[in-house]
Amino acid sequence: MSKKIWTLLSLLLVASMMLVACTPTAEEPVATEEMVAPAEPVTITIWHQWSGDYETAIKAIFDAYTVANPNVTIVLEKPENVSDALQVAIPAGEGPDIIGWANDQIGAQALVGNIADLGTLGVTMDELTSTYEPAAVNGVVWQDKIWALPESQEGIALVYNTAMASAEDFPSDPLDFADLLAKAEAFQAANPGKFLVCNQALGNPDAYHAAPVWFGFGVPEYVDDQGVAYFNTPEALTAANWLVEFSAFAPAETSHEICKTMLVEGQAAAWWTGPWAIADLETAGMDYAILPMGRPFVGIKTLMITSNAVDRGSAEVALDIMRFFTNAENQTTMALANKTIPANTAALNNAQVQALESIAGFGASLNLGIPMANTPFAGAQWGPVGDATTAIWTGAQTPEEALAAAQAAMDEAIATMK
Amino acid sequence: MVSWSGRRKVWTIILFIAPTLIGILLFNIYPIIYNVFISFTNRNQYHPNPDCSQTFTGIIEPSCWPMFKESSGVSEPYRIQDPPFANYSALIGDLFSGPGMLAMGKLFLLIIPLIIANQINKILDRQLTRPLPSYLVWLGALVVSALLAWLLDIKTVLDTLQKSGDFFVVVFRTILFVILTVPINYIFGMVLALVLNSNYIKGRTFFRAVMIIPWAASTMFIIMSLVWQFFFREQGTVNQIMKVFNIDPVRWLSDPTWAFAIILLVNLWFSFPFCFNIILGALQSISADQYEAADVDGASYWQQLINITLPLIRPAIVPAIVLSAIGAGGFQMFGTVWAITAGGPTRGAGMPGATELVMVYAYKQVFQVRAYALAGAFAVIIFIFLFIATLYSLRITRITKGAYE
Repeated sequence: MSKKIWTLLSLLLVASMMLVACTPTAEEPVATEEMVAPAEPVTITIWHQWSGDYETAIKAIFDAYTVANPNVTIVLEKPENVSDALQVAIPAGEGPDIIGWANDQIGAQALVGNIADLGTLGVTMDELTSTYEPAAVNGVVWQDKIWALPESQEGIALVYNTAMASAEDFPSDPLDFADLLAKAEAFQAANPGKFLVCNQALGNPDAYHAAPVWFGFGVPEYVDDQGVAYFNTPEALTAANWLVEFSAFAPAETSHEICKTMLVEGQAAAWWTGPWAIADLETAGMDYAILPMGRPFVGIKTLMITSNAVDRGSAEVALDIMRFFTNAENQTTMALANKTIPANTAALNNAQVQALESIAGFGASLNLGIPMANTPFAGAQWGPVGDATTAIWTGAQTPEEALAAAQAAMDEAIATMK
Repeated sequence: MVSWSGRRKVWTIILFIAPTLIGILLFNIYPIIYNVFISFTNRNQYHPNPDCSQTFTGIIEPSCWPMFKESSGVSEPYRIQDPPFANYSALIGDLFSGPGMLAMGKLFLLIIPLIIANQINKILDRQLTRPLPSYLVWLGALVVSALLAWLLDIKTVLDTLQKSGDFFVVVFRTILFVILTVPINYIFGMVLALVLNSNYIKGRTFFRAVMIIPWAASTMFIIMSLVWQFFFREQGTVNQIMKVFNIDPVRWLSDPTWAFAIILLVNLWFSFPFCFNIILGALQSISADQYEAADVDGASYWQQLINITLPLIRPAIVPAIVLSAIGAGGFQMFGTVWAITAGGPTRGAGMPGATELVMVYAYKQVFQVRAYALAGAFAVIIFIFLFIATLYSLRITRITKGAYE
């Protein structure tokens, strides 16, 4: 008899400890919406590309979810190349339940059948439009189907080291590239061996980070939703000629790490980058400010559900996690920690979030930006534009040659699709 | 007593060879057949999925097999090209057009003097005393080739061939890489081996062990390649050192020629220990009596090297040279190039980069451009090319014959 009483007491003790552990504190991400509570233990695998301090804040939200749902285990994995890994995993019935990816992947992944239409899982357009920003909603809908839930909006701007430069060192008009050129020249003259701006697309094939220049000069898009490429336009030629001039006053070889190091070590005053870089700059103890420059790509960071999650029966829980992750409270926490621009309208309108300098800086840049297409045509732009930009930058081709080659390459790729 | 009947014998043999046979069929033959099949389709990033209702596709395409999940994508499935050899035509079609054939003919003309020189040397070798040393014959052939190159305007010929498409550019560049890297590696390895085989060098064992370090480091070649990349970055070690001596920095990895040279240098660092060890082993197998006899006859060091050392180490190093040329340090070079330049620097959109060798090009076509069918056709052509090159090299080097026959 006493044995049964001890067993009962032990169970009550464990249950009470778990209840205490589940109690949210004011600082932690909170679960405010009604959650799906699976009766059986479920493991949800998320493939992502987050890193550093940025990932830490995200992980805290998932930890909060698993505390509230003890039957759910969330495993975060970061494959080297998500696209290649999916190609092998999905047909074998393996791989993730959720993928954290940019919205430009939607078309290609839907074509292959790697991701599920969220409409079939109960997500409606009403839910989307009442929860998220209009640009974010557009970014996750393709062929009238909902393929993802938006997490944040992102684009790049000039993040400058306030110990090296002030706002006066940069153009007051974000579309005045002649002024940027003049100021880069003046900065280098005043600071020999140092540069005003480091852009990882100038000296390294990277069409995404080159976008503010091309679009800033009036190129409407690299490739539009109908599969029309725009590198044979006069605006593209003007931008290319500006790149030739600007190459004299910027680092010749760049990458994400090189630009970060140059900024932190005082070799460059500004880095043309996005919100994902801010956490690392703050860790490095650097004081920074953000200014818009050019017209960047406006991308949407999203969470998608794989077709395998549907087959495995874990899609409902996966969707619940995505709704939890993208809700107003958690996206407010994310924005405050990672300086991201929430796709969730309520989080974006939060007073604390609105007070963030990154919202003002990156927000102004996004207001000028060009939405990133989520059609499969988007796949045709990255290689040719990146290569053309680098060829112009290094002088391997004249602007005319580089643009003609890029246009031909994009047209050829699009023709293959059509 | 168990009878050894015909049927029983056949079954016994089949059972014994079946595991190996199944392994070969599954891991060697099937991938080749599958690749050849894909090379005749239009499979790419826009048509990634198969039409499993087609009988042959259903059999050969793994994603149609019952254990795998059939795709639920919204794309049109891939199909056989019209005409079926369209991918091959896109790769090498222009090479076999009128101007392409003419240019290839002119390029072949440059090799003819070298072939003739080889034949002349064979004939002269059979004579009791050679009227001409072999190097003079080779030198003469090279002069004739150079003269022909000038007469035929080889620059225009190469331009014509480069315009024929990526295939010629990539293969030509890879052959150039092999022609440069293999002799450099072996000459460097041989010089070191000769030095460290000398009795006059003290601490030879220590130096021989030191020479192995790059070889050992090649097990983590990605990290070592990135270290080399760091040396030659614009802000890297080499430029920093040059800055100390007031020398203007060089954009090593942005300049096509320098980038190619750096790939050769890094490959030398990774490869010379192998060459060094092969040659050192061969040198140590040469009897000291031969050199003593040569000393008695009054032969100089150079004469001993040319007439004793090189002929006797030849059987050991020629197979190693052939394997190096065909293998991962030569024609199939990938890792080092990918880690240092990723095939760049770029020469413009739609063109292979300055260090885009055959394997790097194939990798990019599959994993970046996702032109699976085109990459399949490329792989088939390269396979045929390498197969012929291997057979020819076996014939000219007689690797499979006894070492001292």
